[in-house]
Amino acid sequence: MSSIRLFGIETEYGIAREDTETADPVVESMELVRAYLDGHFTCRWDYRGEHPHEDQRGFRVTELAQDKEEDLFAEQDAHRPFSFHEMKSDLVLPNGARFYNDHTHPEYSTPECRTIKDIVAHDRAGERILWVAAQRRNEVLGGRVVQLYKNNTDFHGHSYGCHDNYLVPRAINFDNLVRGILPFLVSRQVIAGAGKVGREAQERGFTPGGFQLSQRADFMETELSVDTMHNRPILNTRDEPHATRERYRRLHLILGDANMCEYTTALKIGTTRVVLDMIAEGFVPSFDLASPVAAIQAISQDPDLKTVVKRQEGGTISGLDIQREYVEQARRVLTNIDEETQWILQEWELVIDQLQKDPLQLVGKIDWVTKRWLLESFVQDEGIGWDDPWLASLDLEYHNIDPERGLFCGLEVEGRATSISQEDDIQEAMKNGPLDTRAGLRGLCVQRFGEDINSIQWEGVHFNGKNGTLHLDLLDHLEPVSVAHCRAALEAAKTPLEMINSLAIQK
Amino acid sequence: MEHAMKFVQLIGSLDRKERPVDPISKPSGPGEDSGPKRPETDSPSRDNLMKRMKKVDPKQAEKYRQRTGE
Repeated sequence: MSSIRLFGIETEYGIAREDTETADPVVESMELVRAYLDGHFTCRWDYRGEHPHEDQRGFRVTELAQDKEEDLFAEQDAHRPFSFHEMKSDLVLPNGARFYNDHTHPEYSTPECRTIKDIVAHDRAGERILWVAAQRRNEVLGGRVVQLYKNNTDFHGHSYGCHDNYLVPRAINFDNLVRGILPFLVSRQVIAGAGKVGREAQERGFTPGGFQLSQRADFMETELSVDTMHNRPILNTRDEPHATRERYRRLHLILGDANMCEYTTALKIGTTRVVLDMIAEGFVPSFDLASPVAAIQAISQDPDLKTVVKRQEGGTISGLDIQREYVEQARRVLTNIDEETQWILQEWELVIDQLQKDPLQLVGKIDWVTKRWLLESFVQDEGIGWDDPWLASLDLEYHNIDPERGLFCGLEVEGRATSISQEDDIQEAMKNGPLDTRAGLRGLCVQRFGEDINSIQWEGVHFNGKNGTLHLDLLDHLEPVSVAHCRAALEAAKTPLEMINSLAIQK
Repeated sequence: MEHAMKFVQLIGSLDRKERPVDPISKPSGPGEDSGPKRPETDSPSRDNLMKRMKKVDPKQAEKYRQRTGE
């Protein structure tokens, strides 16, 4: 079964005002997003494509676990002098990305990408765009008082997400998809965790001490669920494909950490994409985990990677060995290994070997190894214990995107972080979407006909026309050939009407 | 905006010293030029990182509060 490669990352950033304790988080996030604008905010995002109650298992839930909390927030928001759309401040940027205020967190959703190189560049472009917005906001506030964190926890039991998304053929049976990917996801933190000091429980505070692989493992409460804010699942079942529903699913993964290392981002997305390719080829793992939720937490809590978890069929297996099993099977299952897949498999094997033999080789490449090395050095230098609250602050600061303060930024300054993107790639990604995906088309619409856009979202763009709205349907522009045809029409047209007419003639 | 963009370009050109790894066009043999060597325990760069870490307010995480997100 051939599959179209298309993936993206949504990152909710933490935001702090350091000059006041009474800042309104809704206003701060809203103002931060708007600070990126050159002009006034006009709401154009079309929410009609969003179906958070639809479940991939074939039903629709009547309510989500977060609905009550959302209702409470809505009640509070009603007292603010802003409309719903003003508070969301939903922007589509000229690179096809979405940038908006989601639950008081500025969220950057990368354009849909087809290659690992592109997704890494666009994830980094997101950091830069957020940093530009913070600088502009700070100019208004008169000091460097707004700080942004690309992490997933506030160390008080509140988590926020970094979701990775993949277009998957609907022809893949959902049960097979779950069975095929679940052990991989439980153990993915071994190669993709961002690392965290201490332990947390959902909205029940923080216990200092120790170090674990993942920021999010403490917040995973079930195997499958449509929920995202409470009762968080290892595999989210929301059925919101943002593509033709009969042909595609969107795998919406909410268990991942926000990564700072480009190499970790490349491996996280790359290995997940490889596992989806394997499942499309009919791969079924030789084992199931007896208790995936307990396993994800047990694996996270052992940075020495010795912990084993129970298999349903009997026996035990470590997180590292689960990863090794997958990469070995990938070599056997995949029949068409292109250059990018070759790179992913090679680096995946290398990382597994180095984690086993000499993890320090991965400083600057794998986030949790890098953070642990930094903190361990600090513990030794300062003569403090792992339960010292200073370490949570250092953990937080690892994710600060301020280049003069962030600890990961410091590693980059010292030349200790492995780059996947060149600086030019990131600069280009800040301005333009990928040439070979519909995101590039979306971005081009914003660049060329921004003033004419009536509404916009993942699946299409509506333009204001003299006789009603004109619709550019992006549902069908998933293949590179189709994207190229549409791009040519977009670039040649002087008006949206000319573009729509040109595409109609091509059909 | 112009000031902000210039700053972004500046930090980009200063910061990214590590040689890029290209996941598409230049697959290398395992371990070849694919990452930093084992970190040295004593070096000027380590000292700079330690200085940066010591500047962090020990109570920063205690003060940091967010709402639950997705």
